[in-house]
Amino acid sequence: MEQKILQKDQIAKLYIELSEEYNIYAPVKEKGNIVFKKISNSDQIELDYLNSKIPPKEVLFPQMEVLFEYKLDGKDVEIIDRQDLDEKILLFGVRPCDAYSFELVGNFFKAHGNWEDEIYLKKKENTTIIGMGCNSPRTTCFCTSVGGHPFQKDYIDLFLTDLGDKYLVEGISDKGKEIMQKLSWLSDAKEADVKKSEELAKQAEESFTTKFNFDLVTKVLGENFENPVWEEISESCIGCGSCTFLCPTCTCFDVIEENDKYNNRGRRIRIWDTCQSCLYTLETSGHNPRPDKIQRCRNRIMHKFSYYPENYNCLGCVGCGRCIQACPVNNELRIIIDKILEIEKEEDEKAVA
Amino acid sequence: MRKQLPNPYIPMLTEVVSITSENKVNDIKTIELKFKKEEDYKNFAYIPGQFAEISLIGKGECPIGIASSPTEEGTIKFTIKKMGTVTSGFHNCEVGDTVGIRGPCGNGWPMEDMKGKNIVVIGGGFAFSTLRSLVLYVLDEKYRKDYKDITVIYGNRDSGEVLYQDVLEEWDKRDDINVVLTIDREEEGWTRKVGFVAAIVKEVAPSPENAVAIICGPPIMIRTAVAELVELGWKDEQILNSLEMRMKCGIGKCGRCNIGNKFVCVDGPVFSLAELKKMPNEY
Repeated sequence: MEQKILQKDQIAKLYIELSEEYNIYAPVKEKGNIVFKKISNSDQIELDYLNSKIPPKEVLFPQMEVLFEYKLDGKDVEIIDRQDLDEKILLFGVRPCDAYSFELVGNFFKAHGNWEDEIYLKKKENTTIIGMGCNSPRTTCFCTSVGGHPFQKDYIDLFLTDLGDKYLVEGISDKGKEIMQKLSWLSDAKEADVKKSEELAKQAEESFTTKFNFDLVTKVLGENFENPVWEEISESCIGCGSCTFLCPTCTCFDVIEENDKYNNRGRRIRIWDTCQSCLYTLETSGHNPRPDKIQRCRNRIMHKFSYYPENYNCLGCVGCGRCIQACPVNNELRIIIDKILEIEKEEDEKAVA
Repeated sequence: MRKQLPNPYIPMLTEVVSITSENKVNDIKTIELKFKKEEDYKNFAYIPGQFAEISLIGKGECPIGIASSPTEEGTIKFTIKKMGTVTSGFHNCEVGDTVGIRGPCGNGWPMEDMKGKNIVVIGGGFAFSTLRSLVLYVLDEKYRKDYKDITVIYGNRDSGEVLYQDVLEEWDKRDDINVVLTIDREEEGWTRKVGFVAAIVKEVAPSPENAVAIICGPPIMIRTAVAELVELGWKDEQILNSLEMRMKCGIGKCGRCNIGNKFVCVDGPVFSLAELKKMPNEY
């Protein structure tokens, strides 16, 4: 595989070259947080970050998105389709876990039923990902437990490894290799650079402190829908939905109309919704199949670690740890998983006794 | 390259061609729609038991079971109870208004699997809409020979709530269908059965032999009627239900209608009792 070197002071050059073809979205610092934003200047890029607070899913699946627009004229209606889905998007600085999330979300929007979410899929098709390995994963990261790796390159087009004052650059997909060719001024990598990147990957992998046995978790969940543990798990939950809004694989949405009554026009939009909200499942009749937080907390965990494996043969989680960091009452995944695995232990003890 | 598909959230446009009030209190209406484009109508090939996302552009969208049968060519019908913003909007509709429609959605009644069998239709209240579709379909001269005996048990709170009086009259005239109508309490002038649906099921005692039961109605009616069927020797595989859940997209994307790993909008809304027993009790 061809490997090149990008000096950190060459980021501006890279930006200028690629911004001709792409709209570039990169990590920027905003109100003390890292977010992926469309940039108009390479100085905006924040290179010293662990990961963004809001995942880059926001670029392809924004919190609020137009499904179509309409004009009303008496009894007639004119529908106007989205015209902006051909935008060529370049995501710069995406971590491997988030890159994998695009794969999961893309598969979900394609898989279930006969209908494909053309809006999302078209944007995904027009997106190129420049990813970056994680030299120092957070204590809340657990991608290695969900089949990932801090240097996983599979879902990334062009892969960068931070070597201090420079990046090692590898073209992974055809899209990425094309970009490599385009950036003809990149210098060749030396063997020492490649070796260093391998060492960094190894160090990063060894530094993980959060580890789960999800095969076991999936098995236990499949047998314990009715277990009283859900009462305990949901006890401190305040139903804020932060865990779902900040989850790179959560895609639930609500659909509403926004009207401009004075001009007889409007738009139907989708906005992020959360299974942690009571209104999410409240039926018109007043009946609610998930009326309490017990059912709602259970639904989130079951969805990621039981329903997802049943339907798609993989976990619905990329191990980014955002839900762990975001929970305002510390009712976080590590604690929840421990409680779930506790069931299995108790049963084993019973069996021994 | 992936095949380019159209935006699945864009509705096809139809025009309201008739509006019928279905009950005495006038909170249930059937609206009849005609597609503005002939090709849209051709693409809207549905079977009984499916639903569609219908919308008043500017008010919103909601999932409603299709009340017409595919054998009633040219238009499609929806029976709508006045509940919230969108359904109230439909109640205020006039002939000529534009209605958006996406679909057909969901699996529908298994019309193929039911061939050669006796069909027992049990309905309560205004959930009868997709049952109307089904009965009209199997009674159609093109399909009648494919199905055996047809029994319909249809219950309502009172006589003013009985929907589809016109088709019920037609069915009464035929000798190849047994229609049993019931209301909860005695009423002057009512000559049909009186009693809850479950009690009538017990009285009619449909045989499970080579038969399928199709049940649609309020949860309490479903529970009690199913209990009677089980008593009569029916197997879980023979009893079909159509479920309701809150829905937005109708195409398996917005997330909220899941029961366990199934989405009611695409894996359902029709499930057999045997399937339901394998799913978590969260509906």
